Amino acid sequence: MSAVFSALESSRNGLSVYKTWLDAIADNIANVNTVRPAGEDAFAARYVVAEAVDYGGAAAPGIGNGARVQRVAFGSDEGRLVYSPGHPYADAEGMIRVPDIDMNEQMTSMIVAQRSYQANVSVVERARAAYEAALRIGSR
Amino acid sequence: MAVEAITGAIASAVRSAGTALPSLPTTGAQAAAPSGEGFRDMVVGALDDLQGLHGTADSLAVQAATGDLADVHEYTIAATQAELATQLTVAVRDKAVEAFNDIMRMQF
Repeated sequence: MSAVFSALESSRNGLSVYKTWLDAIADNIANVNTVRPAGEDAFAARYVVAEAVDYGGAAAPGIGNGARVQRVAFGSDEGRLVYSPGHPYADAEGMIRVPDIDMNEQMTSMIVAQRSYQANVSVVERARAAYEAALRIGSR
Repeated sequence: MAVEAITGAIASAVRSAGTALPSLPTTGAQAAAPSGEGFRDMVVGALDDLQGLHGTADSLAVQAATGDLADVHEYTIAATQAELATQLTVAVRDKAVEAFNDIMRMQF
């Protein structure tokens, strides 16, 4: 039955990828001010690695089943050393480690993820309308 | 859900109807033996698929109610698939009943 609804399956998988990406961006933005002592690792940005799902069914060998999250990659945990002598985590030189997350990059990624999620929802709506039109063939 | 009970009842009815058919007496020319997958198997298979789709949608609906649903789109797409599959099954049934009634109205 899933072969009948392969467009819906592809969009479902795509929606899961973009939802995971939005979750990762939310995590990055939430931790943008997470301070660590200078001797420890900073918060590493999360990146979602997607890959194409290609089941290669007999009906349509070239068409896959959308995308899926292959894994989550981590950015650099190097961070940036900031001089802040009054901070409780400050070391003898008054340095603390803050995450090196680019807020501009995160916000643009968030817009891309959100719009892509909406695009997949549009595909679901179009596929549904197409299937319903096919079901109306020959009806009285 | 009620749909599962209905599809289960239809599936068992179709199964029993199909098993009853071969015992019917044939007169005159030998009726051609049904070869391979017939309409009955197709209908039963489609109803089993439909039951599976409704089962998936139902379990996701339960997850949504209990707050265990991780992805909203998982439920809405499963519900859409179940709805479309139901419409397809009903359309096939309507066509089959229509054909059956046309045959029953034949006059010689």
